[in-house]
Amino acid sequence: MKRAFSRLLVLAILLTLLAPVLTVGAQGAQTLEIYITGLGDDQLNWFREVAFPAFQETHPDVTLEILTGGWGDFDATVAGWITTGDGPDIIYLGSEYAATYGPLLANIDPYLEGWDELEQFLPIALDTVTWDGHARGLPLLMSPRPIFFRTDLFANPEAGIPLTFEDALTFVGENTIIENNALVRQGYMALGGGLFDAQEFIADIWTAGGELYYEDGTSAFDSAETAEAMQFTYDRRRLVLPTEDTAGLPPFEGTALASNAVVSGIWAMWQAPATDDPLWDDIAMGPYPAGEKGEPLIQVFIDWLSVPAYVPEAKLPLVVDFLKFIASQDNAIALNNVAGFTPTRQDAWEAIREASPVWARLLDMAVEYGRAFSDIRASAELRPLIAEQMNLYLTDQQSLEDTQRIMKEEYDAILEDAGYIK
Amino acid sequence: MTSDIRLDNLIWVALTVLFIIVTSTGLGLLARAIARWRGLSEGEQRKLFWGITLAGPWIVGFLIFVVGPALASLFYSFNNYKLGESLEWTGLENYRALIMGIGAHGRRFTQAMYNSFYYALIGVPLQIITALGMALLLNNEIRGIRSFRTIFYLPVILAGGPAILLAWRYMLSANGGFVNVILQKLASSFFLFDWLYRGFIFVMEGFNSFYTGLSRGDPLGPLKFVIPGALAILILITLLGDWSESKRARTWGIIQILALIVLAATLPRGLMAAPIDPIWTVVVGLAFLGFILLSAWQGHEGRVRAFQIAALIVFAITLALTLAAAAPDSGDPAPYLIAAAAAAAPVLLSLFGVWSRRKYTLLGIAFAILALAVFIHVIPGQLDGGRLALIPRYLTFGTTLEQPGDLTYLKETYPAEIMSAIWFFALAVVMLAAIALLGDRYPRARRAVLYISLAFFLLFTAGALVDGVRYFRAFDTIAAETGTPAYHFARFRTATAQFPTQDRVPLWMTSELWTKPSLVLITMWSTGAGMLIFLAALKGVPRSLYEAAEVDGAGRTQKFFKITLPMISPAMFYNIVIGMIAALQTFESIYILRTPDTEDTLASAAFFLFVRTFRQLDIGQGAAASWILVVVIVVLTVIQFRYSNWVNYEA
Repeated sequence: MKRAFSRLLVLAILLTLLAPVLTVGAQGAQTLEIYITGLGDDQLNWFREVAFPAFQETHPDVTLEILTGGWGDFDATVAGWITTGDGPDIIYLGSEYAATYGPLLANIDPYLEGWDELEQFLPIALDTVTWDGHARGLPLLMSPRPIFFRTDLFANPEAGIPLTFEDALTFVGENTIIENNALVRQGYMALGGGLFDAQEFIADIWTAGGELYYEDGTSAFDSAETAEAMQFTYDRRRLVLPTEDTAGLPPFEGTALASNAVVSGIWAMWQAPATDDPLWDDIAMGPYPAGEKGEPLIQVFIDWLSVPAYVPEAKLPLVVDFLKFIASQDNAIALNNVAGFTPTRQDAWEAIREASPVWARLLDMAVEYGRAFSDIRASAELRPLIAEQMNLYLTDQQSLEDTQRIMKEEYDAILEDAGYIK
Repeated sequence: MTSDIRLDNLIWVALTVLFIIVTSTGLGLLARAIARWRGLSEGEQRKLFWGITLAGPWIVGFLIFVVGPALASLFYSFNNYKLGESLEWTGLENYRALIMGIGAHGRRFTQAMYNSFYYALIGVPLQIITALGMALLLNNEIRGIRSFRTIFYLPVILAGGPAILLAWRYMLSANGGFVNVILQKLASSFFLFDWLYRGFIFVMEGFNSFYTGLSRGDPLGPLKFVIPGALAILILITLLGDWSESKRARTWGIIQILALIVLAATLPRGLMAAPIDPIWTVVVGLAFLGFILLSAWQGHEGRVRAFQIAALIVFAITLALTLAAAAPDSGDPAPYLIAAAAAAAPVLLSLFGVWSRRKYTLLGIAFAILALAVFIHVIPGQLDGGRLALIPRYLTFGTTLEQPGDLTYLKETYPAEIMSAIWFFALAVVMLAAIALLGDRYPRARRAVLYISLAFFLLFTAGALVDGVRYFRAFDTIAAETGTPAYHFARFRTATAQFPTQDRVPLWMTSELWTKPSLVLITMWSTGAGMLIFLAALKGVPRSLYEAAEVDGAGRTQKFFKITLPMISPAMFYNIVIGMIAALQTFESIYILRTPDTEDTLASAAFFLFVRTFRQLDIGQGAAASWILVVVIVVLTVIQFRYSNWVNYEA
């Protein structure tokens, strides 16, 4: 019994020891792992079948692997890697994440020195990937989010694109149809399918002429511009939903823009019909309307590839080589064709403008009205705070003044706790 | 370690295997040494050595991957620890913010706990009723019964999956969703159903809007006194008439439950107050002493010891916190130390000597002094600013005579914290204890106390109810004048202002008034696991019992309540305990079904700690939330076991 057990134990130990050697033997010498969030199979296949082989032509010893996931489990996944200090070499991040993960990302400035192509990137895109004065990655794409209008559904065919809060309210009121206490047609739909979106609310403060922060770093939620943006959001909601017990639109297949049930709204380009769809003849684009003291604008979201601080220094040159490769002019144009990405490099725009009039219009809008969604401090805590408090205000459970006061007090406390206010 | 990744892996694996062998053998040797020390035979020592050595890898894994992280999270919970930043010891600060509902995160945690309790206290009973109903149906011997059982069990396998949950979202779509289309068809076809349907909408929206307002921590005004008052009235009514042994036992049982409520509500807040509040210390000491006395009187030695140890731990923590940080903030630590000493002394005394008549008398006097201190000194202290004056007002309906426009006292007195209601539970405990102690030895005095208590609570509750209605009517005016965010019951007011019109539909997944019921509905659909347990229990009920009952002339209802329910009570108890724990941990369905608009109204405590830890990267507060959830689950489970004497294990 004892002897049999000893033999079994020795065998198990030998097998355990051999297993990793055999496994590792099948792998390449260096592996680059890239975490990409929220892309479909077609886009991921482009990376695997086109981009990776092209990179391996100049780096034959490198194996490239994609890890993928959605935005839903993004935070938990990334937090896990950063906690354990063990994860992919490159992580795809959204526009406002530099403030959240900045201290946990590597400074790649030394590896970008002398790279001429850097000046081709939009300054707002480079700002987005910068934390504490140093680049933490490279911008991959931008997503300008204008308001889309279905001109063929306008109740008043002569109506133009509304550029002020007042005109926008008139437009939404005219184009909303309610029957039997249920929506039949919605004059306006916010990003996400509802009537309120925290990111858009921040844009409304900007178009009212306000800012999120005062010069001393405290929150400006108590400003007159914030109040104007709140009142506009409230009035627009009441034009769509006269009471909180009005039923929303029925579920529809495909994109909301093509549903014939929504006249205007904000969507990202990947939520819109394909750019060669004839429906685009009846789709207009416009900026977010402005308040009395502000100017219309379009929010521009920059998605970027970041380098975590746990990546060994010896591996950083290779990682940055890949970033430069994937952000090159050719790949920017290719990603536009495959995935509908809008490049952040201006030298890639010409080809895209020529290929599609829709993209040309979108780029023109971004140039004229674009403002990057960046420098949003403590964004992970700000978004639920705005959603919670604005929901109370919009559903008549809290006054405008109380909502402003609570948002101001609590966001200041969050900013102080996070070290933004000394 | 080396430049060759293969060599690195090989070294790591070798070291891991070596570590496991060494630690497992070490555990085995340790077990053997302990066995030798305890004088076990050589053979027993050998058996123990091999047993522990072979179980060693699992034990080591458990220690490293379960116990280790649990202890680490406990340590983090006492720190300000944000991912990427260094640890900063903050003591109970994370717990304080969450339990006292301080700031945005504290408020959200309070709401998340309310949501969790909604799933547990409303969802679980509905699940049990559904599961039992299905089990009773499927217990019949009809053709194809196996297929029916499979069909009813199928949701257990499917439920929780994102596809099924998203399908539910489509079915529950307010406009054009399957559920509402069917309901509307029935409502338009049948007159009676239409009224029932609209009544259902009215009741659901009324209840959920009230619960939502409650969960946001708004002052309920005088209405908060109605709940303990109404409960006290119900209890007192059951004690009318002749005194009996069963009434005595029941009274002491009720006293324990009410005292537990008082303790559960006061203990965490008392410990979390900064600096430690002497009032809470005395209240906690009073509650512990009461439990010790009662347990000793009933002959439960183990329980006496448990309460003594718990009390001493609490007082030690109180003392440490007072000396370490709390008292210096307030300047003079004397009141805190005096309060702690006064509360701890009787508990310490109870440790010595046998439980003689003298010891009971001595501790009884100490209890009376503490109780007097609470009711004479502490309550007026708590009820200052006119709140104490409300008691005679309610008793005499004084407030109803005032001009509706006179809101001065409302503004000053009503934004009172909800803990005030706890005093009326404490008052009920004292009155009930007096009734139980007087018993049948002094029947006249017992009856006098009973009638006076009943009259007090009747008048007080009625007065509070009348004034509560006035308070709600004056809500907007108060809010406008004081500028406080006191609109949280506005939804309740609009929801109950008029009976739903014919075109109204439940806004299942889109309105904050319907999201929690939607989640409960989806959970009820997948209650097949509970059904299976009930079905097994039903199969175990002997037919002879039903036959004997039929011979005695029992009907279907009598057979169900007198035979079936008692016989399946162990299964019922199991389903309640497991269902309650699962409900408090609800996560996946919320994660999938939430939208930014509805996240706060759906979020459970488990979801809150996920958000704090993984989205907002506040590991310290996330860890504190998880430990609070653990304590709540353990306490509720212990209470369920403690009061499980309705379970018939001999069935």
